[in-house]
Amino acid sequence: MEGVSYQRFPKIKIREVKDDYAKFELRETDASMANALRRVMIAEVPTVAIDLVEIEVNSSVLNDEFIAHRLGLIPLTSERAMAMRFSRDCDACDGDGQCEFCSVEFHLRAKCMTDETLDVTSKDLISSDHTVVPVDFSDSSGYDSADKKGIIIVKLRRGQELRLRAIARKGIGKDHAKWSPAATVTFMYEPEIHINEDLMESLTLEEKTSWVESSPTKVFDIDASSQQVVVADAEAYTYDDEVLKKAEAMGKPGLVEIYAKEDSFIFTVESTGAIKASQLVLNAIDVLKQKLDAVRLSEDTVEADDQFGELGAHMRGG
Amino acid sequence: MRFKEESVEEKLDHIKRKQEEMSIHKHFPADPVKQAVDKFPLLPEFLKVRGLVKQHLDSFNYFVKTDIKKIVRANDRIVSSVDPSIYLRFKDVRIGEPSITVDGISEKLNPHTCRLSDMTYAAPILVNIEYITGSHVQKTRVEKNDVVIGRMPIMLRSCCCVLYKKDEAELARLGECPLDPGGYFVVKGTEKVILIQEQLSKNRIIIDTDKKGNINASVTSSTESTKSKTVIVMEKEKIWLQLNQFTSKIPIMIVMKAMGMESDQEVVQMVGRNPRYSALLLPSMEECASHGIYTQQQALEFLERKVKKLPFYNPSLEKEGRGMAILRDTFIANVPVRQNNFRPKCLYVAVMLRRMMDAILNKDAMDDKDYVGNKRLELSGQLISLLFEDLFKTMISEVKKTIDAILAKPSRSSRFDFSQFIVRDSITVGLERTLSTGNWDVKRFRMHRKGMSQVVARLSYIGSLGHMTKISPQFEKSRKVSGPRALQPSQWGMLCPCDTPEGEACGLVKNLALMTHVTTDEEESPLISLCYSLGVEDLELLSGEELHTPNSFLIIFNGLILGKHRRPQRFANALRKLRRAGKIGEFVSVFVNEKQHCVYIASDGGRVCRPVVIADKGKSRIKEHHMKELIDGVRTFDDFLRDGLIEYLDVNEENNALIALYEADAKPETTHIEIEPFTILGVCAGLIPFPHHNQSPRNTYQCAMGKQAMGNIAYNQLCRMDSLLYLLVYPQRPLLTTRTIELVGYDKLGAGQNATVAVMSYSGYDIEDAIVMNKSSLDRGFGRCIVMKKFSAVNQRYENNASDRIVRPLKVGHDAERMQILDDDGLAAPGEIIKPNDIYINKESPIITKGPLISPVGLPDSAYKPSRQTFKGPEGEASVVDRVALCSDKNSNLCIKFLIRHTRRPEVGDKFSSRHGQKGVCGTIIQQEDFPFSERGICPDLIMNPHGFPSRMTVGKMIELLGGKAGVSCGRFHYGSAFGEPSGHADKVETISKTLVKHGFSYSGKDFIYSGITGCPLQAYIFMGPIYYQKLKHMVLDKMHARGSGPRVMLTRQPTEGRARNGGLRVGEMERDCLIAYGASMLIFERLMVSSDPFEVQVCRVCGLLGYYNHKLKIGICSTCKNGDNISTMKLPYACKLLFQELQAMNVVPRLKLTEA
Repeated sequence: MEGVSYQRFPKIKIREVKDDYAKFELRETDASMANALRRVMIAEVPTVAIDLVEIEVNSSVLNDEFIAHRLGLIPLTSERAMAMRFSRDCDACDGDGQCEFCSVEFHLRAKCMTDETLDVTSKDLISSDHTVVPVDFSDSSGYDSADKKGIIIVKLRRGQELRLRAIARKGIGKDHAKWSPAATVTFMYEPEIHINEDLMESLTLEEKTSWVESSPTKVFDIDASSQQVVVADAEAYTYDDEVLKKAEAMGKPGLVEIYAKEDSFIFTVESTGAIKASQLVLNAIDVLKQKLDAVRLSEDTVEADDQFGELGAHMRGG
Repeated sequence: MRFKEESVEEKLDHIKRKQEEMSIHKHFPADPVKQAVDKFPLLPEFLKVRGLVKQHLDSFNYFVKTDIKKIVRANDRIVSSVDPSIYLRFKDVRIGEPSITVDGISEKLNPHTCRLSDMTYAAPILVNIEYITGSHVQKTRVEKNDVVIGRMPIMLRSCCCVLYKKDEAELARLGECPLDPGGYFVVKGTEKVILIQEQLSKNRIIIDTDKKGNINASVTSSTESTKSKTVIVMEKEKIWLQLNQFTSKIPIMIVMKAMGMESDQEVVQMVGRNPRYSALLLPSMEECASHGIYTQQQALEFLERKVKKLPFYNPSLEKEGRGMAILRDTFIANVPVRQNNFRPKCLYVAVMLRRMMDAILNKDAMDDKDYVGNKRLELSGQLISLLFEDLFKTMISEVKKTIDAILAKPSRSSRFDFSQFIVRDSITVGLERTLSTGNWDVKRFRMHRKGMSQVVARLSYIGSLGHMTKISPQFEKSRKVSGPRALQPSQWGMLCPCDTPEGEACGLVKNLALMTHVTTDEEESPLISLCYSLGVEDLELLSGEELHTPNSFLIIFNGLILGKHRRPQRFANALRKLRRAGKIGEFVSVFVNEKQHCVYIASDGGRVCRPVVIADKGKSRIKEHHMKELIDGVRTFDDFLRDGLIEYLDVNEENNALIALYEADAKPETTHIEIEPFTILGVCAGLIPFPHHNQSPRNTYQCAMGKQAMGNIAYNQLCRMDSLLYLLVYPQRPLLTTRTIELVGYDKLGAGQNATVAVMSYSGYDIEDAIVMNKSSLDRGFGRCIVMKKFSAVNQRYENNASDRIVRPLKVGHDAERMQILDDDGLAAPGEIIKPNDIYINKESPIITKGPLISPVGLPDSAYKPSRQTFKGPEGEASVVDRVALCSDKNSNLCIKFLIRHTRRPEVGDKFSSRHGQKGVCGTIIQQEDFPFSERGICPDLIMNPHGFPSRMTVGKMIELLGGKAGVSCGRFHYGSAFGEPSGHADKVETISKTLVKHGFSYSGKDFIYSGITGCPLQAYIFMGPIYYQKLKHMVLDKMHARGSGPRVMLTRQPTEGRARNGGLRVGEMERDCLIAYGASMLIFERLMVSSDPFEVQVCRVCGLLGYYNHKLKIGICSTCKNGDNISTMKLPYACKLLFQELQAMNVVPRLKLTEA
């Protein structure tokens, strides 16, 4: 054990990047690394979200807590979040979280004056900081871009009014899901599929089609010209073992061999819109580095024992 | 001649049938199973006309429209006994519009204002009267219309209610929820429902065995004037009559003789000439002869001796003697005696005897008391009618008493207005009190029943619906018998087989099924004359001998023997044809009992019945075009009834029908076809998807739990002021629905959320049905609920005219901090955050509340003491004042209600349940990143342990998961109605699996999952998908309790008991036993004395009695020995010291003997 370095140099290959979506391969590393990245993306990449709501007038049908909860879950653009301070260790405002370094103020004023129901949406939230605004979905999604398509907070009928002041703060997903920038972060092991060509050739076309169709996802296909079974999309394979079972049922075990590559992962990252998906990955790597730095720096200090407990002792080889 | 004709007819019929059968067979292969007509659209149509609580509404409407008039007509005169020419006559009665009269101004009421301001939703009872007025000489008849005699609480949505036939928008304007079914009353602001009462049917012969095993025939008679129970019992081979009015049993033959049946032969003929009957009758005849009774006169004299002596009995009143009177009026009172003609009664007794003997000869002829056909359901209308009758009669006698007193006065004032003396309060108060307490104490009818009305359960929408269909049992719950609790086959389609509570009331409390209707009374006389014109031979014209000729059937109408008919089947068919044609009421039932050779016709109220499709020789009368017309809206459910396509069958008539479940199963003998099989379940059981795949008790558990689930209660839920209200913040409609859900509106007022469930083990905090929850899901609002509690305060006015006052809060000083949420008016402001011990009303009450009147304005501040009310909520939690409502109560005191709201997110220990009787508490809450995930990025909301499945066998839950998963992936709500697979109201697992595969899931619903902690794939495929989860009202926050030191009981100085009193946790007998066995003596000592009630006493070593401690001299003194020489100080439980003193008070001297410790 002693002295053996497990250092590897993982590689990333980006397959697809959109504002709120990224797909990339992570190779030459193991599950611990991939999972750490996933976990950090979900829980520890900071964003800004509404955390404090002061309601002045609320004559809507929803109660104050209800509205506050809904406001909290609205994603705010948080490119600046990495640079912001947590309100709890903000020096400028004694930690009460009401200064430019750690907070953003929002105002919402809506009153329905017509007989038509008024939708109060995230578009009605007016920010004091133009860098932190509710995420705009209209352009990215493409449909209904003409309409104002914010997130509905509450609907008002004639005479109802909502007036409030909200303060957004920096936070992480571990504390509350509203601070999580990730809608979906998931990875899968890349499958490796070997078709036993000889055995496959012994099948009739009918058997081949039935075997190909036994997979719930479209992994295999039959080449129209050569009538050979080919792997259409290896990543569509969901490790469901259906084809293996089918092969066995057909009396041809070993028709195909499927392994999961232990050291390569295909990541899918979808962001809530708070930060770009690509930025989310980069931020996650940053956060992960910081965490590791924290461990390494306080390796031999006494407080490391307090801070990390057994982990610290363990790392020092205890 | 006639006979021949029939046989020819029959033959022809037979041939025709044969041909038809053949033709069916011929057709069969050619067109395979002709697509059965989908009759489902009938159901929503049925429920549209019927509503969900039609039974209550119909019953109440019947009372208001018919019954109340009958009651008043029967007692329409108040005649002064002093001057019989002075009288008052009630000509007509009706119920007005719901309104209230305040200070002479009549104001219309609507139910919601009554709920909010603690009023009774009632309407005036208006009568038209005619009376004599004037002085001694000059008398004139006066008529007066619309005189109010009292106020009648009105059932919501009945024909008197303002909500009657209102559409959704109008209902909304009245503050009412359109989905609320009505069927209850609003009494003093609380909603009260009168439970359906189950009873044995009245006026019917029931053959049963008593405790000693003797066979008896009993009739519970009930007419407008009398109620009685007649029992004829066979004991030691002799037959006796048991009647309350007689001191002992009477030989039956004496009774017959007393009724004029002097000849034994005639009795034998009436019972039936079969020698087996005569043999059974012989001992009774001998008994009669042994008393030397041969004539009617002798028999009556014998009865006279047996009559119970009544304390206020006045023999002069009756001419013919009490025996005769009892026989006429009480003995089987349902058989009327006209002009002292006892013959119908004799025949009735003969039939009773015959039925009894049949039962003796053949045990199968015994009646089953649990048979639903022998039961009647008593509904609110009937109960209120009983009550009203009593109160009305009481009022009449009161009025009579007062006017007699006035008229008896020699010098009365010249004007005498009868109508002035009608008292209104007794009826109003009587109705209101009875409805609000639920205690029916009607002395006139010897009725003392408790708990008849209950507060409508408003915990969930389904709970309140279920409450309306609940049937409370006739037996007391403590009886340990299995018979009445068992599922009766005759319950099919009428009473829900699933919905019954667990525990002591199991099987006794029942619920109506979805389509069940409870009948109301129907006019009898036209039906009787119809029967005679259909060829019933009148009883009067028959000899005893003719009564039981073979092939002739007795016609029994509502328990009354009308006569006999020689061709019963034809008679029954004729009646049924008339019913289907709408010539007689649709709820009249005709039942040919082949075994008893009787045709029973019933038109009485309280029978349960349900609609079924009529079939002719196995072919449904409803054809494709009928359904099309229905869907197009040109045909209604009533049209189906009127056109004779559908009819109502009650439990008895079902025995004459052969009902096919589906049209495809119909045989030529089939007479009816079910509308939909899932209607055998009730409202609560109808929520369960795939209940026919579950183990039966699981469905029963869900029926109980569905009523505790939080969700939406009504559309007007936020305008209500219930004392306790649980709401879900984001209620959802179940992904896997049933037809019942759509029919009852559960999809609009759901009580649960669709959670993605992974069936796997995780962390060990999921054993014993605990579930592991995803923290992020909770953050996003899963299971979040609102609890609203009502606190009220009254600004009381006292007898000395002083009253409470609410004052401006203090801005500074000791209590200022606790008064921060108060407005300047001294009341908590809506929207303010309220913490435990905060004051929500700054009230002061006068110190002097009795004595002479004082002016309330001039009182100085010093005359008041603060009586502030502080909020006691969960410690450490912040609630919010939701609303403050002011109203005046009936004593016109200012009444202030505060609604305090608390939003809660789920925490460890909160109870959740799926719709399959699988409840569990939240075992732990885990971060999302630690939760397992699939490569699609799906992360479950909660994890359920797979051990919940094998023993519970809730396969329905698994199918729900599959169906839900298929539903979310293809975007269509899937269905899981009970028994719905053949008719397409439930998706088959096979098709669900196909959908799953089409969307890239495994057909089995299992997913390949990665551990969120390590990132490695899990060893097994995980069964994962959405299941509808309910949050139940049991939450730890309301239950958790611990105490260090705290309040003690005054008497024993031991800690108080119970969470509400911040009590201690008791080391009970068994816990103590454990400690003794373990030998932890010091721990016992600590728990039982040191932490409980230690008390230092002075004990005299000489006399062994307790002394006292003199604080001045600082020594203990024994008051018996009058010195302080031999005093020891020791510790004793205070309860022990108390015991000694109590013993001493009883002259028992406990002496303590001390030894050195």
